[in-house]
Amino acid sequence: MNPRILQLLALVFIALVLLQSVLGGVLFWHSIGITPHAIFSHYEHKSLHGLLEVVSPHALFIAVALMATLHFLSFIPTINENTKRVTTHLLFGLFILDQGSVFFIASGFELFAIIKLGSFILFELLLGWVWIIIFEKTLRELK
Amino acid sequence: MKFIASKKLSDNQSLRLVMIWMIVALIITLGLNIIVKSIDYGTSPQQWVDTLLGNTEKFIDPMTINDLLLRVHTDLFTLILIYILIGSLYIRTSHPKSLKLGLLSISLITLILYPIMLIVSVLYSGAFAVEIAGVSFILFNLIMLIESIWLLIMLIRGKL
Repeated sequence: MNPRILQLLALVFIALVLLQSVLGGVLFWHSIGITPHAIFSHYEHKSLHGLLEVVSPHALFIAVALMATLHFLSFIPTINENTKRVTTHLLFGLFILDQGSVFFIASGFELFAIIKLGSFILFELLLGWVWIIIFEKTLRELK
Repeated sequence: MKFIASKKLSDNQSLRLVMIWMIVALIITLGLNIIVKSIDYGTSPQQWVDTLLGNTEKFIDPMTINDLLLRVHTDLFTLILIYILIGSLYIRTSHPKSLKLGLLSISLITLILYPIMLIVSVLYSGAFAVEIAGVSFILFNLIMLIESIWLLIMLIRGKL
């Protein structure tokens, strides 16, 4: 197998993952805003029903997506167990923090706007990194 | 890499069963994906163009960038997962390496073209970009469907 083609494929996939992360960021920026104040203003007047309408599908879908992604990671022998454990805890933790923050923001805790922003960015970066590792290992199998 | 299971899925009957049902669910998802898109955007290239860019004669408003970003973001997340799930299993088949690499490459290129062309079309009002996005979406789903059906047959026959 031509390694140049594999490298090119890996680059395309990395571009795809980056695109998805950038899209998530742009969507966040367009619909909510990227400053803690904008995030606070967006969520502070939301009703519990309005928050649940967004959080509920995300909770289900992201949990399934993380399970599928992380179970692939668990079969990669070159990544040590400690890194896998930390990555798993971090991804689920950041996801819960990101989604759960909105309830605190709606209750008036402005600090959670910063926490939400930070956890969202870290979650996107970490998930992108995991996807790139999985794809790179898959391509190596083809060699 | 030992994706999902040990060397041979047929050695682990319960896991093989899980994989069979996962592929069945993915085939349904892929079929529904195409149906949903045909309802959302239409069944002809012109209908896709009208939905995305609007049509003053038919009093159709163009899609807002916010709405499009939300749709593309959700679509892409689902499609990347489908690609990883099916691709990681398809790599284990006995097909020639060139065929596996070819199908993986084409599906990956269509997967990246679809969101990019949709965004380009709305930003620059390009009808041609809409058509490329539509063809990419259909091609990606068809390749994934063919791979899934092949995987299902292999799994049922215990050859994976």
